[in-house]
Amino acid sequence: MMSKDTSKEMKLVRAPADLISKLSKEANLQGKTFYSYISEILEQAVRAYEMNRSLKEIIDAYEVLEIYKEAGGMFTPRDILEYLVKKVYPEDSETLQRLWYQTGRWYGVYLKEKTSNSVDAFIRLLREGRWDLNDVIVNRNHETLEFKCVSPLVSQERTLLMQTFIEGAMHSLGYKTQDKECIRGIIRLKFSI
Amino acid sequence: MLAARVDLADKVLEIAARRGTLYDYVNDVLEQAIRAESLGLTLKEILDDRWIIKSARDAGFTVIPEKTVFELIEDAYKSLGKEKMANLWYETGQWYGKYYEDIAKFEGSVKRFFWDISEFKVSKEDENVVLTCLSSKFSEAYTELFSKFLEGAMNALGYNLDESEVSKGIISLKFVKSKGK
Repeated sequence: MMSKDTSKEMKLVRAPADLISKLSKEANLQGKTFYSYISEILEQAVRAYEMNRSLKEIIDAYEVLEIYKEAGGMFTPRDILEYLVKKVYPEDSETLQRLWYQTGRWYGVYLKEKTSNSVDAFIRLLREGRWDLNDVIVNRNHETLEFKCVSPLVSQERTLLMQTFIEGAMHSLGYKTQDKECIRGIIRLKFSI
Repeated sequence: MLAARVDLADKVLEIAARRGTLYDYVNDVLEQAIRAESLGLTLKEILDDRWIIKSARDAGFTVIPEKTVFELIEDAYKSLGKEKMANLWYETGQWYGKYYEDIAKFEGSVKRFFWDISEFKVSKEDENVVLTCLSSKFSEAYTELFSKFLEGAMNALGYNLDESEVSKGIISLKFVKSKGK
């Protein structure tokens, strides 16, 4: 329902009373009129639409960024990482595997503590942050959860390390590895509860 | 009922028509606004930041836990040696200097992507540039390598290193403009 108030060049839009009340309080706290506060919100909704994303998707992505920050993630030049892994892996693959696994476990514990649905949060982390993954496909039913991660640009060594990282996180979240397959750029993992 | 600017209300109505009902769409928008506020931010701030991961990926960065990076560097220091590692970071820095082609853009990206850095300042004075970078989280090895990265970038941007002071978490570099640039 929408009605027009021509005298002030505004329209009235029907919205849930509880949300209006919360936002009205927020506008007051920020020292803004409710009208200007709502205008700012709607401007951003339109902006998100023009980006071909919903506000929910954008906030989800932002939360992933926050998880990275809080969990001590850092941006590193991809070429350096790729080079170092390639050089160190043949000499000490065990240490690297252990390091990636422990990091995965740490992320799992962190997400369990910080989020209400840690498995969904982890999937979002993989999808939004991607660690150079082009595609993260997840199939789940009540007892199993399957990942297929694809990245044509990542080396065999980094693919293996990513697989280990995912296993570490999922083990922390209470899942067991049931099946796994890894070739350069493609990871398939099946977990059961 | 809430009063909205006519142009915005019309646009919202147009978007809602493609997605379902106006009521549901407005409901969702307001809920997301409340969610943003609960994160301590406005929707605008979140939308402004939304491209960080994408622009970092486009520039060839990847996110990795700092613990993993630091340990990997320690391992690589042993197997590859300090000099080779320093060259690797220097050359990568050169690539980024050429990629950004402008000190202000490079400075902005470092500030946005390296959130572990508590202070990153580039001060220009005539032919000289002083670069200061502080981070309590950097390991000693990472600080050394990151200073080489910065040096490489500044070199590609037309500046040669004149003086440097590097210790764990502290980088202070002074550059002079390269001749002929």
